[in-house]
Amino acid sequence: MRYEAPESVQGAVALLAAANGDARVLAGGTDLLVQMRADVVEPELIVDIKRIRETRAVTQENGGWRIGAAVTGAELKEHAPLKQAWPGVVEAANLIGSTQVQGRATLGGNLCNGSPAADSVPALIAAGAVAKLAGPHGQRDLPVEDVMLGPRTLALRPGEFVVSFLLPPRPPRSADAYLRFIPRTEMDIAVVGAGVSIAVDGAGTITAARVSLGAVAPRVLLVAEAAQAIIGSRLDDAAQERLAAAARAACRPIDDKRGTTEFRVDVAGVLARRAALIAMDRARTR
Amino acid sequence: MADAVATTQELRIVGQPIQRHDARDKVAAAMAYAGDFALPGMLHAFVLRSPYPSARIVKLDTQRAAAMPGVAVVLTARDVPKNTLSTDVPGQTTTVGPLRATLHVLAEDRVRHQGEPVALIAAETLEQARAATEAVDVEYAPLPSVFTTADALAPGAPAVHESGNLLAQWRIARGDVAAGFARAAVVVEGEYVTQFVDAAYLEPESGVAWIDSDGVITIRLSTQVIEHFRDVAEVLNVPQNRVRVIGTYLGGGFGGKEDVTVEVYLGLLALKTGRPVKMVWTRQESLLARAKRHPYRLKYRTGALATGEIVAQEIDLLADSGAYAYLSALVLLYSTVTAAGPYRAPNVSVVARVAYTNNPPTSAMRGFGAMQTVFGYESQMDRVARALGIDPVRVRAVNTLRRGDSLPVGQVMETHVAIPELARRAWAALGTPAAPRAPHVKVGRGLACNLQPYGRIVWLHDWSSAWIGFEMDGSLVVRCGAPDVGGGQASSLCQIASEVLGVPLDRIVVHVSDSALTPLSGTTTASRQLYMSGNAVLKAARELRAQLLTVAARLLDTDAEKLEMIDGAVHAPDARTLSLRSLLVECARASVPRSHLGVYHAPAGEPVDLNAGAGKVFPDYTFGAHAAEVEVDTETGEVRVLKYAAAHDVGRAINPQSVEGQIQGGAVQGLGYGLMEDVVVEDGINLTTSFATYLIPTAADVPDVEAIVVESGEGLGPFNARGIGEPPIGPPAAAVANAIEDATGARMTRLPITAERVARALGLVTE
Repeated sequence: MRYEAPESVQGAVALLAAANGDARVLAGGTDLLVQMRADVVEPELIVDIKRIRETRAVTQENGGWRIGAAVTGAELKEHAPLKQAWPGVVEAANLIGSTQVQGRATLGGNLCNGSPAADSVPALIAAGAVAKLAGPHGQRDLPVEDVMLGPRTLALRPGEFVVSFLLPPRPPRSADAYLRFIPRTEMDIAVVGAGVSIAVDGAGTITAARVSLGAVAPRVLLVAEAAQAIIGSRLDDAAQERLAAAARAACRPIDDKRGTTEFRVDVAGVLARRAALIAMDRARTR
Repeated sequence: MADAVATTQELRIVGQPIQRHDARDKVAAAMAYAGDFALPGMLHAFVLRSPYPSARIVKLDTQRAAAMPGVAVVLTARDVPKNTLSTDVPGQTTTVGPLRATLHVLAEDRVRHQGEPVALIAAETLEQARAATEAVDVEYAPLPSVFTTADALAPGAPAVHESGNLLAQWRIARGDVAAGFARAAVVVEGEYVTQFVDAAYLEPESGVAWIDSDGVITIRLSTQVIEHFRDVAEVLNVPQNRVRVIGTYLGGGFGGKEDVTVEVYLGLLALKTGRPVKMVWTRQESLLARAKRHPYRLKYRTGALATGEIVAQEIDLLADSGAYAYLSALVLLYSTVTAAGPYRAPNVSVVARVAYTNNPPTSAMRGFGAMQTVFGYESQMDRVARALGIDPVRVRAVNTLRRGDSLPVGQVMETHVAIPELARRAWAALGTPAAPRAPHVKVGRGLACNLQPYGRIVWLHDWSSAWIGFEMDGSLVVRCGAPDVGGGQASSLCQIASEVLGVPLDRIVVHVSDSALTPLSGTTTASRQLYMSGNAVLKAARELRAQLLTVAARLLDTDAEKLEMIDGAVHAPDARTLSLRSLLVECARASVPRSHLGVYHAPAGEPVDLNAGAGKVFPDYTFGAHAAEVEVDTETGEVRVLKYAAAHDVGRAINPQSVEGQIQGGAVQGLGYGLMEDVVVEDGINLTTSFATYLIPTAADVPDVEAIVVESGEGLGPFNARGIGEPPIGPPAAAVANAIEDATGARMTRLPITAERVARALGLVTE
């Protein structure tokens, strides 16, 4: 096994593009190293992207925020302006693993691990985040909801990797929130995750919304019907019910010992509604 | 009962919340655990385990594995001098008659559960050992199997063992059950189901073995039972005095290190290779291979008068032993004895059975069969109270056994049963109820009490010994075979010695857990170690004190009874003092020994015929009452424990800090049992062999546990202490279930009480 830690995007792309056999991108390693120890993967090449400046920075860009793929959850937590702008994204990232894991785990890794239960992904999708990919044929932007195709399956082309994410500018009276359900309080994988981003007008009517659900389908879902169910409403009881019903209708979860299909579907509706209420509360006050 | 020294004298050291000598090292990660030891030239060992729950071994060829790089030896059943391991009552020196249980060290022609050991490999590195394990050529032919106790006991079921699938059964009957039900104002019926759980200690099974310069096979490991040196000797076919077991301080035992773990493998490999060898189970292996807590199906039918007085109990228990007997018959005995709880049961019948299946074996775990029953009898007690509109504290007080009353098994309660006081105090400790923090949240409270035996079954004739001796400078050495599993066993012995001999704690060193160099004290199991070894140390200290004070009395020209030993000196009533050093020099001159071996024999009795229904089974019991306040999310079924109070009568707290630690740790482990822990076994395959899938509580999952320590002065241990190792794990599951019904009206009867189960009970899940 070969380990490389290039210092430029081009360097990383060159290594990945030239690799024979299984090449893996290493950011925090909280998934990859565990899988290697369990003999689930046996990469021939590991490309550590943490020395690449672009993967490690949080910067403002055209009124939005660009977050490097290898920025850790702990760093996001410490970033007050980002937390102010996108509380849902940061709280989702901060639910990954434990305090110790937070020191290593990254948004890029959480997405590219390819788990439908990844906590930060529904929040990124609800936020309308766009991933910047770099590859042998240059760079391209891809909405986060299009990056993952199914469990462990990504839309990345050979030699490509995720460099960063762009979170769009926040209009006034808009906010996001993320909630997840797990069998215990901390340090567990989501049974259901729900991210909601909302914008309201001066009268408190929802003008825009995005709703995303995790762990209820082979990939993280962007549920347009759920967003439509609340746009134009003030999130009154009827709108909440419509939202929950639309969220439940979109679910196609697995059935396992951590949660049966019916239970996941039920909880998805509850969480979507609660996340919307939190986002709404936040949106109204700014 | 303890004598005058214990009860009339004001205690100086016993009863003080003294920081244990092992605490700082553990917190600072400086403690050397069994896996931290290494020796030059050491081999690394690995076990090949069966992937099948039930199969015939068609082919087992080790040639290719033996030829792998770095491999020192590959052993199978035919290489084991005596391939039968006794698994009945670890450390026992008397015979246990019909309870005898055995298994093969390495599988011969058949495997009966997933994870059963098939071959043993030692190599220069762990990687080489693991690689060689994969190179062992094994072919299995799957055999018919059974995975539920109901299937196992059905006619024509595949036999897990030739003796049949019913491993043991106990029946007791007292009074007239039918007449009792006829008088009852209310009859409550319930069926409860409990799950497999794992000890889940932080420190996995681990040890190092070598042949010492004296030719003795020496095994240093993490164990609750150093007496397994005898079992190792039997398997190796060497005299018992050629095997020595040294126990390290444990990173948790909870019964999981009561049966043999790595010591027989290590002994075999050291014997075969002549080289030091190390074995440390991975977390996955530990979760796969270690025996679990018995799942139970408990059926209760309870009749009570309008006053709440219980007049009839009909109880039917069925436990899953998994593929081997281990301690199942005894676990079932504990269930049988405790099935009606700490309550009067004038008309009662208990039928208890345990069956073999092809599931993972089950054996000892903290609570030992007296835990599952709490979920049964305390759920019933709560339902009786609810049906009659009686306060939960009151219904328990009405039914509590009094001194002189008998348990269903016929054992007369000889000590105080503090249940009413414990229940009252635990309940009161919850304070003002919390207001629900959201409209979808409901808050409720539950109470659960229990009794747990401490000390061995009386017909096992339990004993313990300890040696205490002075060095010439007045410092003190305590030697006692008791393994310290983390409960403060060793430091409590120091406190007892310090109290009696007036030696400051920083002048005492205790050596524990060495089968060659410390007097044998029996197992650290059954909540027996403070009771048994505490008494042995107390006895040794008192007898040594008497020896020394005879000499001191002569030097001080007074009566020995008038002398006190405080802070390293002997004090006469007229304020004259004699230093320990001078006294010891005089003892040496006068040929008076400066050390003493104390042997404590527990009150013993003859075996009780349960079917005939009369007699004493255990020396005594520890009683407890836990109260929980929970919130239930009525949209998702999530349960959160908001407040928790746990009260136990410990007789006397030798070290209140250690007692509180046992109560808090037990309560948290019991909450894990109640709310999330679940070894999921599907068709004999364990699906939860990592801490990602086997969930135990984190600090975020439990509230502060308020430990309420009640000291009745009624125990049989040193200074009237009672055992407190196991008791606190019993009540939490029932306390939480009772609180959930209080909050929502839903009665949870299956463990663990997951959010999904609550959601279903609340009708939230649409099919």
